[in-house]
Amino acid sequence: MSARGLAVVTGAAGGLGTRIAARLAAEGHDLLLVDLDPGVAEVAAELDGGETRALPCTANLTSAEGVAEVVAAAREGGGVSVLVNNAGITRDGRITKVEESDFAAVIEVNLVAAMRLALALEPLFGDGSAVVNMSSRASLGNFGQANYVASKSGLVGVTRALALRWAPRVRVNAVAPSLVDTPMTQAMPPEVLAKLVARIPAGRIGTPEDIAALVAFLASEEAAYVTGQVLLACGGRSLAA
Amino acid sequence: MAAPLVLRQPVLGEDLDGVTAALTGAFAEVRAAVLDERPVVLVLDDRDLLGQGGVVDAGVATGMLGLVRAFALEGVKPGWRVNAVTHRGDAEDAAVVEAVAWLGGSGLSGQLLRVGTDHLGKVWP
Repeated sequence: MSARGLAVVTGAAGGLGTRIAARLAAEGHDLLLVDLDPGVAEVAAELDGGETRALPCTANLTSAEGVAEVVAAAREGGGVSVLVNNAGITRDGRITKVEESDFAAVIEVNLVAAMRLALALEPLFGDGSAVVNMSSRASLGNFGQANYVASKSGLVGVTRALALRWAPRVRVNAVAPSLVDTPMTQAMPPEVLAKLVARIPAGRIGTPEDIAALVAFLASEEAAYVTGQVLLACGGRSLAA
Repeated sequence: MAAPLVLRQPVLGEDLDGVTAALTGAFAEVRAAVLDERPVVLVLDDRDLLGQGGVVDAGVATGMLGLVRAFALEGVKPGWRVNAVTHRGDAEDAAVVEAVAWLGGSGLSGQLLRVGTDHLGKVWP
């Protein structure tokens, strides 16, 4: 095992999750990479090597069996020093049109699965471990995303409650990104994306590296006095008119 | 003015499996109310908003606060009024009931009215 222990990253098969995993590997963590997408095996193969041991785990975190698979793999890995709850989905739609099934699906994946995994892994956290939940600037409100807003806002409360429950042994924090350059935003019509970027005081879209750096900070000893907090990573978007 | 829908945060305790149904149910009730042109006031436990209670109830409380924000934002044009009032363990406290009645009859939307002073010095949820 590496000096900094095992980091479990969910939603690791692509986009932000892969960059977070790569950053944590660079910080000296071994990795347990979790995703519903079997492509997570390729990501693990790319990151495995040198001083980093990276293992894939294909699992559905909305099922008890899927969570049990992750717990078993983490136990085999010798315990958990970092958990990054990054897995998430969107099913956008105006409030008047969104189906209740789509609302429920987003809550189940983004909020309940994260809670279920964190609680299930609790016995495997060592002293000084850290959990980072991926919330969103949208937790403060967003148009056409009532399900996503509720799920990411719910994660904020979960972050606070877990932080208080597990202190001082385990720290729990959240990162709340805004627009980040991922395959999802790359698929937007350029004019729509340009309008959104124009509302960001930083003058640019966030990069996965911007977010991964914050996750790595919150997971590190440098953030030893930070728990129960939500770090907005939005280029100032949460302040702008 | 139509009578407001007053929706209290359900208390789930350790019932993790109840979270999705609780939030989806709240969404459906609020949507039906605003489409019926009724104002909505959600009544939330301030301790859960701050994570001072159980993990599951914290997720539900802050999830419902997210609903307030989402409905208020999307409801600017149609004029939906969706707000929240907090209590600290007694949703029937006179000050809470008064706040719910006042906010439900106001023209405001997207507001969080925290009854009492225990939230001072803490984070804004």
